[in-house]
Parts: sequence; C-alpha cells; structure tokens
Amino acid sequence: MPTFTLTVNREPRKVDVEPDTPLLWVLRDALQLTGTKYGCGVGVCGACTVHEGKEAVHACSISVREAAGKSFTTIEGLSAAGDHPCQKAWVAEDVAQCGYCQPGMIMTAAALLARKPDPTEAEINQAMSGSVCRCGTYNRMRKAIQRAARAGR
Amino acid sequence: MRATRRQFLQATAGAGTGLVLAFHLPDLLSSDKPFVFDANAYIRIASDNTITLFATRSEMGQGVRTNLPAALAEELEINLSQVKVEQAVPGPRFKGIRMRTSGSGSSSGSFTALRRAGASAREMLIAAAAKRWSVDAASCRAENGAVFHAASGRLATYGELAEDASRMPVPGEPKLKEPKDFRLLGKPLLRLDGPAIVQGKATYGLDARVPGMMYAVMARSPFLGGKVKHFDGSKALTMSGVRHVVPIKSGIATGVAVVADSTWQAMRARDAVEIEWEPGPNKDFDSEQYIRKLQAAHANGRAYPLRSAGDVKQALAKAAKTLEAEYEYPHQVHAPLEPMNCTADVRGGSCEIWVSTQTPETAASEVATMLGLPAEKVLVHTTLLGGGFGRRLQSDFVHEAAELSKAIGKPVQLVWTRTDDTRHGYFQPASIERVRGGLDANGKVVAWWHRSADGGLTVLGQPSAEEKNDPKYYANDEAPWGNFDNFYQFPNHLGEYIPVENPVPTGPWRAVMYPATVFARESFLDELAHAAGRDPLELRLELVRANKPIDIGSYHIDLNRMVRVLEVVREKAAWDKPLPAEKGRTWGRGIALNIYHGSSYIAEVAEVSVARDLSDLRVHRIVCVIDCGFAINPAGIEGQVESGITWGLSATLHGKIDFRNGGAVQRNYQDCRVMRMDEMPVVETHILPSSERPAGFGEHPVPHVAPAVANAVFAATGKRIRRLPITPEEMRRS
Repeated sequence: MPTFTLTVNREPRKVDVEPDTPLLWVLRDALQLTGTKYGCGVGVCGACTVHEGKEAVHACSISVREAAGKSFTTIEGLSAAGDHPCQKAWVAEDVAQCGYCQPGMIMTAAALLARKPDPTEAEINQAMSGSVCRCGTYNRMRKAIQRAARAGR
Repeated sequence: MRATRRQFLQATAGAGTGLVLAFHLPDLLSSDKPFVFDANAYIRIASDNTITLFATRSEMGQGVRTNLPAALAEELEINLSQVKVEQAVPGPRFKGIRMRTSGSGSSSGSFTALRRAGASAREMLIAAAAKRWSVDAASCRAENGAVFHAASGRLATYGELAEDASRMPVPGEPKLKEPKDFRLLGKPLLRLDGPAIVQGKATYGLDARVPGMMYAVMARSPFLGGKVKHFDGSKALTMSGVRHVVPIKSGIATGVAVVADSTWQAMRARDAVEIEWEPGPNKDFDSEQYIRKLQAAHANGRAYPLRSAGDVKQALAKAAKTLEAEYEYPHQVHAPLEPMNCTADVRGGSCEIWVSTQTPETAASEVATMLGLPAEKVLVHTTLLGGGFGRRLQSDFVHEAAELSKAIGKPVQLVWTRTDDTRHGYFQPASIERVRGGLDANGKVVAWWHRSADGGLTVLGQPSAEEKNDPKYYANDEAPWGNFDNFYQFPNHLGEYIPVENPVPTGPWRAVMYPATVFARESFLDELAHAAGRDPLELRLELVRANKPIDIGSYHIDLNRMVRVLEVVREKAAWDKPLPAEKGRTWGRGIALNIYHGSSYIAEVAEVSVARDLSDLRVHRIVCVIDCGFAINPAGIEGQVESGITWGLSATLHGKIDFRNGGAVQRNYQDCRVMRMDEMPVVETHILPSSERPAGFGEHPVPHVAPAVANAVFAATGKRIRRLPITPEEMRRS
C-alpha cells in the first residue's frame, strides 16, 4: 500500500492506506482520532467536518490522495484544553444532547467565526445548514455561536 | 403470542430497589488498595474519597447521565463536581434494576429509587460518624461530602467514614429530603458529559477500539426478509486488507459480511461480493398498495372496540351536522446520526461487547442464548448513544456482530452504512385513521367515532389465535395510544382498532403510537371546530372541562391540568391576537393537545406562513406549554421539548419511507430529509410549576407538531392536509 503524508493538528503524519481512502477513515481508523464522526459518507450530514487550513470541509469527501501534503485540524486539535470560544459557548448553552454531531457542528461554526467574526443570523443558518443534528439542538447552537461571537468581540 | 403494550410499558418501570448489594468484593479489602464502600448498586465511596455514581440507563441525549446522578447526589449531600459517573455494565451488581431506556421513563421512573439510594447511603455515613464520635445521629448532618457534628465542631469526610459505614445496617426506610431543601433537583443543570462531547473525547459505539479488532460491513438483502441463496466472496478476498467474507444469518437484514483491516477496506470490497438473493415472500411489497389495503380494511376489516360511551351511531344519525375524514400517516425511519454498529469479541468461551444500546441487559441475555454461553460470560459495555429514539431498543445489530466475531475468532466492529440504516431497521408503522364526528345545532360535539388501522409494532409479535378471538384484546392492551386514551369528553364516543398485518419490521419510534392517532384526532377536532364556526381552542376547552379526575383504562387523568395548560398557551401564543400581514404570503395558527399516558399534559401552538401559490411553507414559531409534574431539571426539559418538536417537524415537513419492489426507496439524508438549522422555528417552552410526581418529557412533545402545523396551514390557506409530509405538492393536492 502506498504511503501518504499529511499534517493533522499541526503534526506531520504518515499513513499506509489505499489512495481512495476518505480522510474520515484515515483519521478514525489509521490515526485513532475518533472525534471526527461518520454520519452519511456522502457529504450531506456534516458530522465529519474538519478544517483544511481555515476552511470547513467534509472529511468523508476528500480522498487521502487529495489530502496528501495538506494541513488539517480536527476537533481534537481545535484548542489545547477545550477552550476555543465555540467549545466554551457550547458548554455554557448546554447545547449537546446525544452529542454525536457536535464536533462537526463546532468545527463548522469555528470556521464561520474565523471568516466572519460577527455573523448575522442568516449567515449562521447558511453556514450550519449543511449539517444534521437529529436531536434538534439547532436553536441552542445558534445561541452558542452568537455567544462565541460576543466573546470574540 | 404478542407482548402486550402493558408488558412493553412495564419493561420501562424500575423494578428492583438496588438498595442491597447482591455480591461482595473481598479482593478489594486488601490493604494496598483504598477501601471501597459499596453503599448500594448505585453508589461507591472509596476511602481515598473518590465517589462513583453508576448510571443505570443509557445516555442518548436526554440527560440521564446528569439527571440520575443528580437525584443520587441530592440525597447523598454531595456536589456533582465531586463525583465520577460510571456506566453500569449489566451483572449481579445491578440485579433487579431495569436498565432498559425507553418510554421517556428514565428520569421519572427511577427518580424515587435513586433518591432512596442516596438517602440510604447518607444515613449509613451519618450513623458511622455518630458511632465513632459517640453522639446521637440526629445531632449530625451531612453536607458537601462530609458529616459534621456542630456541637463539637467535628468533621469526617465520606472517604474517612467509608469503612465504618460499610458495617452499618442498610436503612429500611431512609428519610428523603423535603423538596424545599433541594440544591440540585428542580434547578437547571448543565450536562456533565458536555465538556467531553465538545472536545471530541466522548466515546460512542463506533469509537470503541479493542486491540486486534477488525472492521466489517455487510451486503444486505435488498428485499424485506430476503436471504442469501448463494454468494461468491473470492473477488472481494483479493482486495486490499480484506480478511474474511462471511454469511450472516442473525438480525433483520441478513446478508454477507466483509471483514477487513479498516472500515474503508471493508466498504470498498462490499460491492465485489457476488450474491444471489432469495427474495422471500415480500419481493413485490409496495407501501402504496399497503396504504390501499389499510383503506380497504376500514370497510371490510374486523374492528376491535377500544372505547365506548353512549350510542355514537344514533348520535351521528341525529346530529345537526356530520363530518368524516381520513388521515394517512407514512412509515418513518429513526435515522439517528450514529448509524447502527456493534463491536464484539467472542473468544475462548466468553463474549465482550461495546455498543450504543438502549437495552444492554436484553442484548446480553439474547447473545448468551444465541452463543450458548452462561449469562456471566457475556459483558455488554454501553457507550454513549449517537441517538436512540427507540431504534436501539432492538439488538439485531448486536446479534450480527456476535455471530461474526464468533465466526472469525477475532474482535470485530460491524458498522451499518447510512444506506443500510435508512433502508433497514424497525420503522414506525404507516396507518390510516378515519374519524366521524357529529355537531348539534349549537355547535357542540355530540359524537366522535375514531377508527385506527395499522400493522401494530411487529417487534411485539402477533397475537395468538385465541387472543385474536377476544374482542377486548386491544382494549385490554390499551392500544393504539391516542385513540384508546382520547381524553376529550364526548357524550357519544367510539374508539376502534383494525389490525392489518404489515410485512415491514416495525418498532418503537419517538412517541411510538401517538403521532399517527394524534395527527388524526387533533386535525379532525379542528375540522369540527371550523364546521361549527367555532374557535378551535375554545372548543377544546369545552371538551376538557370535567368536574373530577377521570380514569381511562389504567390512566388517571386530571383534566384541570389540561385546562390550565390551555389557558397558559392561549396567553403565551397570543392566540387571540392577529398575525402579521405579508405580501405574497398568508399566516395562520394551529393548536394541538395531548396527554401522554395520563402523565404529561402538553399543548402546542404553531405559527406558519404559506406562499400564496402554495410553493413554500414556513413554520415560524412553536409555543409549547407543558405540565410534566415536578420538573427535575428544567433546562433539560426545555432541551427535550425543543428536540421533540424538531423531531416532529422532520416528520411533518419531510419524513417518509416508501417501499417499492420489496425494499425501502430512500437511502440517505438527501432523500430522507430531516430538519436543519435554516428551517428551524423559534421554540418557546413554558414549564408549569407542579408538585405532582415527575413525568416524562423526551417523547411527549412529538405528536402535537403535525396536527398543529396542519391546522395552522388550514388557518392560513383553507387547505386541509390529511396526509404527511406537508410538502408543497401535498398542499396543492388538498
């Protein structure tokens, strides 16, 4: 099997996997970073959202061949101690129910705030609507994003 | 033999008290380890002052790993920051304690048992301190993880008292705190798992990692109940990382498992397995045809009486005005974000399982039977659940993983792809409800005749021939809910049920039987109100007025609570105030009520707007007023109400599974749509203060949503929706 090198959470990582392996399974099975979740496998639920550079991307829809040489951040690397403004706001607003979608949601929100520190409600809705929360925590999530935005001002 | 609804419900109630341990741990008494005081099944206090509380229900987002420890900690007089919460593994320690998580009964059902367990441990610790200090126990008090004797200023931590406390008798009737003295219960509590979840550190079933484990997916029968006739795995076996190709006979969606070194290698090799299917008896099953069969059953099927008062047929004949309508409810899928999966290690005469399940003890006993192992050789570790919603009450995916691990002799994680999860499973049954009603000249409802037809829940099995012969069988079973326990006070009332066998595997889905019946009941009441020229809320108020509490079967219902809920929702939703006027759109409000198992009283008002050309429906706001007895954790209840309403909205606006040619049509979140943030209305939750016994709230807000929205669509457009989901096409058809 070929070897690919990519940067994950600021560290270079080498993996031996098939070239068509989605980044999602590289993270979960090869690198044991299970915070990135499998939900749909086709880029429609957002559970596997990670950052490529500063941009939110679906790890299930990027092959390791495409990912090689690039730099990614997962939920495990978003902050040193769970203290990213989104993570703090998420806890304060008691957003999570089952919590399975939340790492992907937080990565999506963090990318939005990096791009737009003070998003409107419409911008929040637009950024977040690629993602599914089957528990329906959307209203608390929106509040948490607004709280994180306030904290960043 | 069919398991009755009563048995189904009993399985949700707490049976044992867990106050006396059924086992001892002599090895822990050795001197190099801290002494461990297992006060009871739920509470462990070590001499190094670590306090462990055991969570005996599954966490699937409803907050049990916070609420249950809170009930223990309240009486034990400790703070939640002082404890470690450990998930209970079924075994002798928890003998007699229900671990099944269903029926929204976790917080309410175990509330008193947990308080007693906390109080019992507290009294043993106080007794130990009193004995040590030779003072009266009544002069000591417990606070913040320690016992104090105020007169002498002495203090001992629970850890210091652990060993002495273990020698104290277990109190028969521990004294519970007065609710006015509660520090934790009744106050908003943040979820204890919150910090782990937001850091990606929380462990779900799919995150289980066992040394040497393999990964597997299955090629599953495209036909409901189909089987493998012949397969050839030789091509798949040549693919990278593929180790085994194994037929799997257990579960409900049988087929062939591909086992590989990684999930992706298993997934990519799955299509390379050549399989000839034996389609079985359902190869032509079509849900549209089944709907027609349900409709036909209303004319020629056997109707079992559920409820009867007065003479409904005569009252209809004499009524000034009569109405009749038919409501259609489609099959629905759970679609939790974490697809079904299970990790099993069956080796050397024992079995260890890691799984997100709502029923660890059932899974353990079923697997023990299946593998021919003694019960104590099967350990089931419950992880966090990435959503349960009733789907994880079944253990089919646990059976599959155990069968597979046994076959290959290695630990293996078997994952369902999203498509597997959408197309297979235990769906919510489709139904056809038909309601007839009569109004007198004053616009009073004088007759109500509601017939439900569906296939019931197939997980409960089918009734025996003898049971089928008993005309009271379904009435005694008090099912279907929503029709049987219709709480409105009609002078002439007939409720009936027509069972129509359904080949689709069906099981509990959030709110189980209520969504279809309540959609029909609350929509038809709206139709009657409009036919009588009356306000739908006023009409309901009239129909829930009763002088005294009423009994419907085993349910004891205090309609005054419903009256109060209605009065509050009228004010909070500004029911009597006009809605905005908007160019190109019309606005409307709709209301729906339900009382869930005689315990939670809920009203919801939906506010919607519809484009004049019916191309678009927006739900703007839902106001929910809930009386669910004493509110253990108001923040948690509010979260669950929002969750239930979102769930109801998914079903109302999008949800539906069609079957064609023997299999489900929908495959993933693109064609099996659920709510997303951009569609989310404002949700306002008002929890009425109550000192009544705590009742459930996890499923209870679901059934109102479809009728409240449909009634609002009627108010906005004059279009009466009688079939879900409410799409633009459906509005145009109506």
